[in-house]
Amino acid sequence: MQDSQKPDLDESLNVTQSHDRAMREAAAVAREKHVDEGGREPLSLWVFGASAFILIFAGLALGNAGSFFNYNETVKSDYVRKTFDSGDNSGPPPGEALKIYMAKGEKIYGKCIGCHAPDGKGGGAYPALAGSEWALGETERFAMVVLNGLSGPTSTGKTYGVMPAQGIGMSDVDLAAVMTYVRNAFGNSKGDVVTKEMAAEAIKISEARANPGSPVTADELKADHLKDLPGDKLDPTTMIDPVTLEPVEAAAE
Amino acid sequence: MSNPPESSIDHDPTVRAAIDRSLRHPVMFFFTSGAAWLAVAILLGIISSAKVHSPQFLGDCAWFTYGRVFAAHQSALLYGWGCQAAFGMMIWLMARLSRQECRNAGTILMAGHVWNFAISIGVIGILAGGGTGMPWMDMPSFAWIPMLLSYGAILIWSMVQFKVRPEGHTYISQWYLMAALIWFPWFFGSAHLLVHGFGGSPLGAAGVNAWYHSALLLLFFAPVGIGMAYYLVPKVTGRPVFNYSMSLLGFWTLAAIAPWAGLQKLTGAPIPNFLPYLGAFAGILFAMPAALAGINLLKTASSEMETVNLSPTLRFTIWGLIFLLVLGAASVVLNSPGVMKITQFTMSGYGYDLLAVYGFFSFIAFGSIYFIVPRITRREWLSRRLIKWHFFLSIYGIGAIIVVALFGGLMQGVGQEEYLQPWENAAGRAFPYAVLVTTAWSFLLLSNVFFFLHLTLMWLRLGRRSSHPTLLVTPHHSSPHGPEGDIDNVGSASAH
Repeated sequence: MQDSQKPDLDESLNVTQSHDRAMREAAAVAREKHVDEGGREPLSLWVFGASAFILIFAGLALGNAGSFFNYNETVKSDYVRKTFDSGDNSGPPPGEALKIYMAKGEKIYGKCIGCHAPDGKGGGAYPALAGSEWALGETERFAMVVLNGLSGPTSTGKTYGVMPAQGIGMSDVDLAAVMTYVRNAFGNSKGDVVTKEMAAEAIKISEARANPGSPVTADELKADHLKDLPGDKLDPTTMIDPVTLEPVEAAAE
Repeated sequence: MSNPPESSIDHDPTVRAAIDRSLRHPVMFFFTSGAAWLAVAILLGIISSAKVHSPQFLGDCAWFTYGRVFAAHQSALLYGWGCQAAFGMMIWLMARLSRQECRNAGTILMAGHVWNFAISIGVIGILAGGGTGMPWMDMPSFAWIPMLLSYGAILIWSMVQFKVRPEGHTYISQWYLMAALIWFPWFFGSAHLLVHGFGGSPLGAAGVNAWYHSALLLLFFAPVGIGMAYYLVPKVTGRPVFNYSMSLLGFWTLAAIAPWAGLQKLTGAPIPNFLPYLGAFAGILFAMPAALAGINLLKTASSEMETVNLSPTLRFTIWGLIFLLVLGAASVVLNSPGVMKITQFTMSGYGYDLLAVYGFFSFIAFGSIYFIVPRITRREWLSRRLIKWHFFLSIYGIGAIIVVALFGGLMQGVGQEEYLQPWENAAGRAFPYAVLVTTAWSFLLLSNVFFFLHLTLMWLRLGRRSSHPTLLVTPHHSSPHGPEGDIDNVGSASAH
């Protein structure tokens, strides 16, 4: 019998009851098993085999590192491709001259779109390139207009104001491509190629003009430039290299 | 924990119940908000994956451009779901194994809210265009200091509990947990400090970033997942670990190897030649600790196949271990220099990450959630059907993503190697695989909506009041343990 004056220290807790309560409230906890780590089962042989395989593979990867801690050697020589392989696979495939010049010219024509419009009709405020006599006619006259710009009347006799010179920074390839494009797009179908050699001549002629840098006029064009650019004609179906624009040897096809 | 003396066996459930009760709020908070983040991450994953095959989808909205959504998807998956699930598992398991009630649940819960807040503004920051563009370190640089601080507040008490544990044997799970506890602030702090703090060269930052990426996988998610599996498998089957010395060997190989991996991601970059190959060497060798832990635990479970089949915990955990073995095999294949050359810039890296984070780690996290939550809420899972839906949709979804991303990445890589062809061809090769990944993510979204609902009901203490665990095979109404609510039948149900 407990003294009611003393604090309730012991014997008052019914162990069985409280245990039951724990079981009831925490059934999931009560049914848990003990963790026992003490297994000493022997390892299968194939685990060692697999480990050896992994080690060999890892060693092969490390072997690629070459000489260790050599800071001069940065990239494994065959990992990053520095140049195109030689042989048939080198470079993009060749194509027909007219198509390749046209493709390049279409990009350069992007500079001209602002005035002459994507369809080359000029939209009324600027001269049309579609069907233009000067664009389709003698190539030297056309090249002078592109390189130096134009003031005064155009081929139709109408005056539109001054066309600014386009020659600054323009390479022979650019000039050849854009001229070929204009002569064969927008319904124009001249069918010939202005080669980069012809364009190089055009740039020379342009630099040798009496007053270089100023826009050409109809009079000057008629007096000095009414002829085709010098240079060999290129058959538009010749297969050429799209990078160098040189004809490819028939053997390489 | 060796077998305790007979007298303490009666006492044990009371201690365990007290430990579980002390950690109820923080652990449930981490699991539930982790599950919600997982759903967000999957939603963002669907959007970003849809953009791979249908670029015009949500194309006009700057917040949902691919670069932002994909980064937000990864951050939400890693820091919203992965880290929070890991925190919940770690604080619970460390308290259990150290036999100590948690006395700082309030602090941990508070720090958990700070963590959630930090990653929320981090993910919003990414979507708003403030991401750093570094994989797995995408969140704006203001997020990482609160993250590191709240990490410290969450896990310092686990270290304290380990320190004041009753003396005796240290179980292998505690080795792994202590390692993860210490490694996380090491690589997280040093990587963020080197990238955001000191602002070195961009090439150096890329290297640190690649190392951090692999460290988060191999030095945090891997030890937490493996450590948890070393607890769950022997606990539920009641079998001792198949070969305990092998588990120690597995731990030390992981500790020795994993910190060296990572720079294989920079192969071909202008860094000293030995660094990427050393990274590949360590990356391949990760297969060893993975195989040692995976085989050891699968052997442990193989003697109790019926239990594995019945128990939701083991069903998920065992599949997590199978994915761990697959991860080891994938590490060997993907890190070998010949394959790396093809797959380095393809979707196979993403497949590898998902195999680790979702296949291996998350499956073990799901397993431990199915084990831990009934204990801390004192309710049993409501529905075995919801668990089964979660399991089957997850396994098919993630299986599809992994196979497709690894294999599709190979096809994409072969396409990229044909450098004379337009780039569009390589993208075209990846197209059907990208469609499949989106479909699989949709499966996973469905599966995790079930999971999140189920978990929320458990947190609201709306689980079943019963002494019988929710098992996967027998329907509740014909339970072999007697009618529902029969709580005198303690101990008869073993497979949970």
